[in-house]
Formats: sequence, C-alpha cells, structure tokens
Amino acid sequence: MARVEKVVAETIRKFRMFAPEERVLVAVSGGKDSLALWEILTKLGYRADGVYLDLGIAGYSERSREFSEAFAAARGLALRVVRVEGELGAGIDGLIRVARGKACSLCGTVKRYLLNRVAYEGGYHVLATGHNLDDEAATLLGNVLRWEEGYLARQYPVLPGEGKLVRRVKPLLFLSEREVAAYCIISGIEYIYEECPHAVGARSIALKHVLNELEDRYPGTKLGFIRGFLKMRGRFEPPEPVELRDCPVCGMPTAAEGPCRFCRLKERVSHGAPA
Amino acid sequence: MATLKHRDKTYTVKPGATLERALRELGIIPETVLPVKEGKILPPDHRLEEDEEVELVDVISGG
Repeated sequence: MARVEKVVAETIRKFRMFAPEERVLVAVSGGKDSLALWEILTKLGYRADGVYLDLGIAGYSERSREFSEAFAAARGLALRVVRVEGELGAGIDGLIRVARGKACSLCGTVKRYLLNRVAYEGGYHVLATGHNLDDEAATLLGNVLRWEEGYLARQYPVLPGEGKLVRRVKPLLFLSEREVAAYCIISGIEYIYEECPHAVGARSIALKHVLNELEDRYPGTKLGFIRGFLKMRGRFEPPEPVELRDCPVCGMPTAAEGPCRFCRLKERVSHGAPA
Repeated sequence: MATLKHRDKTYTVKPGATLERALRELGIIPETVLPVKEGKILPPDHRLEEDEEVELVDVISGG
C-alpha cells in the first residue's frame, strides 16, 4: 500500500470517521483532492459513491464535470450529478448577481446544503470531503488571525451527524496538497488544473502562500500547526448549542427562524433582485 | 537552454543547475510546484540538461 493510502487509513481509524460497512458519499469537484480521496477510499475497500455538484460556473463547471464523469466511468464507480441551477433556480454565476455576499461564501452555503441533502436522501452514513493539510492549516490560520473562537472550537476532522445532518469527515487531513497532487500524477488521475474563476484572489489562497513560505524555511510547520491544535482545541469555548428546527419550506435542519439560508437564497433568485 | 513551463509562463534557464536552485532563482517556492517530465515527477536534485522541458504543476488550489 502506498504511504498516502496508509496515512488515510490511519486517519479514518484514529478519528473513527466511519466503519467498513458504512456507506460513504464523496463530494467530488473534479479537482485533485476529491478524486484522490475517492480513489484511495475505493482502494481501501470502502463502499464509496460520488456526488458532483454542477455549480453553473461558465466553462469551469463543464470542464470539472467532464473530469469527474471520466474518472467514475473509467473505474465503474457510481457518480450522482446534481445541477445547482435545477435546485436553486440559478447557478453560482447567476446567484452572485442577485445575492449579497462573497462568491465563495454563497457557494459554500449552497454546497453544504445540497451535499448534506443528497447524502441524507441517498441514505449515506457519512459525507467525505477532500480537505487536505494545507486547506485545514489555512483555515486554522485564518481563524486564529481573527480569533474566531466558535470556529476554532468546531474545526475538527469529524463533524458528527444528527437527525437530518449527515456526519462529515476529512480523511486527507494529514496529507499535504503537494502529496495529493503527486499521488494523482503517479496514479494517472486526470483532474481539473485550472482554478475556479471566483476563487482568484481568495483569502484562503493568500493564507496558503504564507504557510508555504514558513514551511519552506521551517519544514513541518503545517503538520505541527494542525497536530498541536488538535491536542489543545478543547480549550476553546464552543458556542451555545443552537436548537435546530426543520425549515418550513424544504424540511431540512436550520438554526434560523423561518426558512433556511438556502431557501432564502432560492426565494431571492426567483425575484431576481439584489438581496 | 532548458525550459520550465509554469501555467501560462515559460522560463528558460541555464542547463547544469539543479531544479531546486533553478526554482529558487525564479522566486518559486519548491513546496508549491511539482516538476514533471513525461508523466514522471523529478527530484529537487535533478540537474537540468540542454533542451530539457519540465512542466511545473501548481499544487495550490483554493476557494
């Protein structure tokens, strides 16, 4: 077994992410991380299907979908394709024209909602995402720089499921972006190389560059940052537990009074006016 | 000369230098790219040869 596969197997075991008999749904974007994750889970013998959200980002979505479908077809794996436009009334390109907020934040809301709903309705035990060491270290650095105590208390490779919220896991937590990219090249996994046009200039990318400069001078920085955090994260005060209720429109869980954020965005799209 | 291709940029470098040295001289942090030639990843101590073409695969993605 390749080192990368061993690291993932150990991460799944250590954090009790899922059991061999549980059904896993992999959130597939067509990028290196999610395709590598799907490949590794399959090689490790897990029952893993994929879900691809067609975000409706001109050009980029078509190309990333092609990579996802080609990957699944070549391996005989089941891939569910969900068009955001069909669920929301507009793709991300259309949404950011009518709703306030940053593109990545709006897209994140839509993705979290739809991925959870697809996993829940499909009867999956767990939803796995391709977040790697660099992603998690950049998120952690961003949260520390703003002292986001609530986010720090919640940042963890396993988010437990409850009711209609499906458990979410990040099995690539201890693999660097470089290792994942190298795994794809060595394994012959073809992935979308270009960046999402809306992510250009994103804060997360700037944070990754800073961490890579530190890593270059002090090797092991990223891994030490995450490992140290996981040991001491209990010191951060979690926010008061929020009571979840069913959204009166779609029935999925929400902390909001009234419709959930996704349904409010959907309503906004249907009116076509800036929120 | 040897050629390093990084996204839409092409750099020409003198043969004989190691990949790591060539990258540092171009201001590229070795951690952020994978040097690939004919589908294989080259090590940092690989010495560039005359007319050699190497693709630098960016490893950072975000959003």
